[in-house]
Order: sequence, then structure tokens, then C-alpha cells
Amino acid sequence: MWSEITKKLQETVQNIMPQVEAVIGWERGFNEIRIKPVVIKKEGDISKLVWNPFCVQNLSGYLVKSPAVIPREGRRVAICVKGCDSRSVTALIQEGFLKRDQIFIIGIPCSGTVDWRKVMKRLERSSVIHRAEIKDGRLMVEHAEGVEEIPLREILLRRCLRCVYPNPTVSDVVIGETVSPHIEKEDLYKDVEAFERKSLDERRKFWAETLSRCIRCYACRNACPLCICQDWCIAERRDPKWVTQKPTLKDILLFHGIHALHLAGRCTECGECERVCPMEIPVMFIKEKLNETTLRLFSYEAGIDSNLVPPLLTFNPHETGI
Amino acid sequence: MVARRKEKKSQNRIFIPLEGLNQTLENLSKHFTVWVPMPSGENEWSLEFKPLHRGCKILLDRQSTLPPKKVILPQGQTLIEYEYKKSESDPSKQDLVLREVIDESPIIVFGTRPCDVRGFLVCDKVFLQGRYIDVYYRARRLNTLFATLFCREADDACFCSSVGSGPADMEGSDIGITPIDGGWILEGLTDRASEIFSLCDCEAPDEKQIEDARRVQEEVRSMRVGNLRTDGVLEGVKGQFQNMELWRDIAESCLSCGVCTYVCPTCYCFTITDEPQGLRGERLRSWDSCMFYQYTQEASGHNPRPTKLERYRNRLGHKFSYFPLRYSGMIACCGCGRCIRSCPVSIDIRQGVERVREAHHGCVCS
Amino acid sequence: MEEREKTKNNTEMRILGFLCNWCSYGGADTAGVSRLKQPTDLRIIRIPCTGRMDPLFAFKALISGADGVLVSGCHPKDCHYSVGNLYARRRFEVLKDFLPFLGIESDRFHYTWVSASEGQRWQEVVTEFSRRIHELGRNPGFDMNTNLVNSEAR
Repeated sequence: MWSEITKKLQETVQNIMPQVEAVIGWERGFNEIRIKPVVIKKEGDISKLVWNPFCVQNLSGYLVKSPAVIPREGRRVAICVKGCDSRSVTALIQEGFLKRDQIFIIGIPCSGTVDWRKVMKRLERSSVIHRAEIKDGRLMVEHAEGVEEIPLREILLRRCLRCVYPNPTVSDVVIGETVSPHIEKEDLYKDVEAFERKSLDERRKFWAETLSRCIRCYACRNACPLCICQDWCIAERRDPKWVTQKPTLKDILLFHGIHALHLAGRCTECGECERVCPMEIPVMFIKEKLNETTLRLFSYEAGIDSNLVPPLLTFNPHETGI
Repeated sequence: MVARRKEKKSQNRIFIPLEGLNQTLENLSKHFTVWVPMPSGENEWSLEFKPLHRGCKILLDRQSTLPPKKVILPQGQTLIEYEYKKSESDPSKQDLVLREVIDESPIIVFGTRPCDVRGFLVCDKVFLQGRYIDVYYRARRLNTLFATLFCREADDACFCSSVGSGPADMEGSDIGITPIDGGWILEGLTDRASEIFSLCDCEAPDEKQIEDARRVQEEVRSMRVGNLRTDGVLEGVKGQFQNMELWRDIAESCLSCGVCTYVCPTCYCFTITDEPQGLRGERLRSWDSCMFYQYTQEASGHNPRPTKLERYRNRLGHKFSYFPLRYSGMIACCGCGRCIRSCPVSIDIRQGVERVREAHHGCVCS
Repeated sequence: MEEREKTKNNTEMRILGFLCNWCSYGGADTAGVSRLKQPTDLRIIRIPCTGRMDPLFAFKALISGADGVLVSGCHPKDCHYSVGNLYARRRFEVLKDFLPFLGIESDRFHYTWVSASEGQRWQEVVTEFSRRIHELGRNPGFDMNTNLVNSEAR
């Protein structure tokens, strides 16, 4: 099934190659369960492109983050997107970082991507992975110490288990069949609600314990397609000095507060921040709360309609109750 | 009792049974701070070195996500504490009181792997050699002992044998740990080990266990982890320095985050800042990363490494070319593979090195 | 009850006030000039407009251990810069909803509108907010000196 989509993807790219500057997609990484982003610029490289549930990265950041892949006048850049990634692209268009006619969007419906750490956790000892194959909702891993078979659902990323937009919301061409979401839209914030039923002390304790693992590598920030300050983030400025270099909980929390509050009403819940965290901190959970708030207060969902203005970048003089 | 002690002192090997590990290390923790690899959270896959506490879960079955680097080079280390105090002689003036913070408390790091210790051997060159000796580093380094595992847990990202080390490389370690059925055999490698063994209160291994350990060690010694070739990369980086197409090829997908440098046992770069809090404060040395824009940002506003391409070139170049050129050929990479494994976009430094070699040899040929 | 009130009031709380230059700062001044009695827990910081008020100002204060943060500006539609406070009020609402998620009482943050002539109202706002903070007690915050990452190593 994945090889068919990969084949179709390569054919599609072959066809559009003459009209585009480059194609941003995925290729095999250092083993079968690790995929990495690739920018295809010549036809000979098209065969590198792949699609399977290990294609975890959201590629939309490469369209805007320096040194970005920017097309020359009158040309386009093609980008492969999953459902969640397509919302990031829309959000970038919304905020004026991208022009719709500069990009060619190859949408791929996605039934969930795999968390490599969850796979490794299943192997008794870390060892060399020879082959990995997904068939009928199960992952088969052949490694140096034996064979492991794991139901796919158990190794999906948390973001995928709560996905309600598995199909690209914007695209020029769609490859593969439409898939149904993992959960109903009403259930989207049930984890947030459950957490809020805990006492304030418990919540504070949870964050104190969880965030104390943070090493402030800023991967969550840099992987976020909507963190567009890049090298000018206030977390790293000396003047004004918001965050110190001290590895204290206060500074860590402040950094995550900066990240989250700057994304309030903008975050598309692609979950990249959480996926890239080397210390497995559920960073996206903070943003989920803010999205729950903006949905409730302003009935707004980021990255769906490119004509809307994010709620915190505008106002409504007639607002009551606020 | 005295006699027994004496007998223990002379022993160079002890056996720790599986269920006796926590107790043995707890005995040691009365005299040392004992750092062990444990899960960073309840359900997490990632491991990190933390000081032992009662009943903690010690995991020796896989490489830790974070190296024990922070034992000797903490993420934030106070060098000096300062305070402004009203002058006693002249109340209109303030005196500055300074206090240097040097930590010399004894430490044992238990359950390191050869790559982890190799990281310190690289850092030693920088902090302990030449005209300037780093007193803060030295104080900790000299008071830290390493108990290192013969490593059988190589995965796809490991390549220690390619950079002058290997899964049985015990250089820099004080104790070798060999996992056998039912426990571990600890073997003294330096003079400092016997002192530790005498504190452990453990039995000596029997003949069979020694034989088992010998077999495991032999097996590990015969393993070659990784097949990266590093010849030619020394000149390669220099020759390809301006070849931005090559570096774009290697690092185009880089996110410019600090994961690779923070999980690296050999990345020692730091920044020094003053962190005031009212009238007192501290001079802090903290981890920095060459993958950050601010790392090379100059006061004028100019930045010699403006994009991730130049920054990635620096990381690779430093490890495989500039460092070996300066320090008698030692590659500043221990082959632990952490940067490859933890990279959010799976950038493989081995592939980078290979590309540089290819490009360089290509140049030479044509 | 009165006794409890009194003991509580004996310790001064650390409350930060962010007041807009054009209305509320004037309002506080009016209250002072009219010699209206006010609690002394509040420390005022003047900002050009509530639109300048970054929610992170309040966020940083609260996680660093401030007991309360009060923001006050011109009444909606009366902003010196026309719409600064309309942007601000959305941000404040989001922040107020967000704080409890991290374990900080939402009541520790409050925003309101006081014009330059409303000295009386300013007195009421300060008195009421200070009372509420005294009721909540000290903010445990996130201890700023706990060096968690390397606590053992230091």
C-alpha cells in the first residue's frame, strides 16, 4: 500500500518537475523507521522520495525558515503535506509569509505516523534494525535480536491519536484515498478537560516534574513552522533579557510560556514541538490548552480558512462577555 | 572484621548480583555521589544520568539519551558568586564581595559506556592541556571515577569503532563492568578501584563467573561497531570549505536546534553570563551550541555563520578536521550516535563525513 | 473573622499594577490627590497603553512569585490610541484562562478599566483586588532558585 502511494507520488513529481523549482518531500534516513526531509531539485533524485507512516516531519517550515526554499518569479515550489501539515501551510498563507500561487501542494491523506521511540521501547535491547514493514495495521520489525510485531495503534505519536484532520485541507493534488479521523471533533480537548479536573497543586506539580527534564535545546521552537522569529527569539536576547541561562524551572517554564503564548490562536497542532523533544516532554499539551481557549472564546481554529485573521491579531469592538 | 576488610582490599574483582545492585550502590553513596542512568520520566524511553536515590530504577540495558557530560560540565555552573555590600569604612560606597565556587566532592559515575568516557578524554584536551588549565573542570574531573560497561547494545546509529574507540575501550575508566548471567562482574582498572571495592561489601566472583565474564569481554572485543571511513576528511573539510552546494546537500534539512550538541558527549562549548538578582548574583558558565545563531553573533551585528549551513559545516569540521589537526589527530567524536538518533530530522553525521570525502576525492581525481 | 482578616493583612503582598499612561495612571493619581485611602500592596508600573501590555509581563511575574497582577487601562472605545485596549482585552482573556492550566489561580490576574477622572473607582478596584489576593495568600509560584536540571550537580 505504501509503495503504491510512493510510486504515485514519484510519478506526480515527475510530471510537475518542469514547472517547479524544487520539491520538498521525505526520503529514507539511516534506517527504515527513520525518515528525513529532502529537497529534490533534479529529476535524477525523484526516486529518493518515499511515503509511509514513518514520514513524521512537517515540511512547511522549510518554505519560510532561512535559508528557505524560495521560487524564482513565476515559478513554484512543490511541497508534500499530510493533513496536519496542510494546516500549517494555510496558517503561513494567512499570516502573509507565503503566497498560495508560489507553492504547489501535494496532499497525502495520513492515517497516523509512528513514534520511533515507542518502537525502540518494544525491543528488548537496542539493536540494529534490518527491516520494518507495516501491513494490516501491524508493524513488523526485523532486528539483530529477532522479530517484533506491534499493533500500529500502540506506536503512533500522541498527536496522531487525537487527529481530526487526517486529510489535507488544502492541496493542488491529492495522492491516496481519504481516511477517516482517529477521534470525533468533540473529543479533541478531552485530555485538556481531564487535566483541568485535577487540583491546582497537582497541575503545578505535573508541570514542575515534566518540564524539569527540559534541556532547552530549543528543538520545539525551531521545529515549529509558525515560530517565525527564528534567530531573533526573545528567549535568547540579552536586551531585553527575558530568560536567564540558569537551568532553573522558572527559566524553563518562562521559555515554554513564551513559546505557547506566542502561538495562542496560531498553533495548528501539528505536534512537531512534541515529536522533536529529545526528553519526551508533552510540549504540545500546553498549546492544546490555548487552542481550547481560543476555540471556546473566539470560535477559531487555526489553519483552516486562509481568509480569516487569527483572533489575537484582531479585535471586535462589539464583543461582550469579554 | 579487620582481617576481612584487608582481604577485600586486595581483591580486584567483585560480583554484584542483579538484585544487589541498588544496595551496593547505596553503600557507595555514603562516600560518593553516585550517578546512574535512570529513566527521565515514568513512562519515558529516554534515560539520563542522575544521582542515585533510594529505590530508584537503574537501567543498564541501553545507552542513555543524555550523556554523563553534565556530571563534570553542568548545563549551568556557577563560577563566581558576587554580592554588593555597604562598605563598612565609607557608608556611601559599596564593596563587592566575591566567592569562587569550586566543587571537589567525590563522584562515581556508574554504568557509563566507552563512548561516554571517550567524551571526557576529548574534553580533557581542551580544559586540561596547554597554557590554560580550567580549574572548575579539573576539580570535578580529578574527583570523578567511571565504572564502564563492556557495551553490547550497539544500534544503527553507533559507530564507535570508526573513531578510534570501540565497545570494549576502557581508556579513561577506573572500573570495567561486565554483564553476565545473574549480575555483573566489576573489575578494577586503576588504583582507585580497590578503594571502591572495599566499600561495596560484595563477594569475589567464582571461577565460573570469571570465565563467563572473560567470554563476554572477548565477544565485545571482537565487535566492530560502524564502518565509517575518516581518512581524507581532515583535508576534505578544508578543501570543501567554500563548496556551499555540498553543505546545502548535507544540512539543508537542519532545524538549527541544539539537540545534537546537547546530547553530544564531546561538545563542550559554553557561554559565560552574569545573572544578577538584586544586589547579588553569579557568573554562570552554561552550555552553548554552535548550531545557534547567537553563538557567533558579533557585537557589530555581523555574523560569520549566518545560516544553518555554515553552522553545520562548523560542527562537522570541528569534530573531524579542526580538532584532530590541533590535538594530534584525535577525532572529537566518540561515535556514540546520539546526535543521529535524537536529531528531529534524522541528519546523519556519518553521511556528512562521507559526502565530504567523496567530494574531496572527486576534486583530487579531476 | 475580623481577627483573621487582620492577621492576614499584616503581611504585605507583592502585587504588580500595570497602568496605562492616559487613563488609569491618571485615575490612580486622582485617587491619591483626593487622599483616598488605599491598600499598600500594589506596585505600579506605567505603560503607554494596555495594548503595550505583553501577557508575558504578567506571566513572568506570576511564575516568579508575584502574588497578583492588576492591569488597568482606558475604557473600551476610549483608548488614547483608539483600539489598543480592544486588542489587549482578548489577550488578557486568553491569559486568564491559561494560567490555571499551569496551576496558577486565575484570580491572581485581573484586568479592568479606570478613566483619569475615576479616582473613587480606582480606590475600589485596588481595595477589592488587594483583598482578593490576601484571601488567596502567598503565590507558591515556581521556585526561582530551584536548579532542577543540575540541582544535584551543584
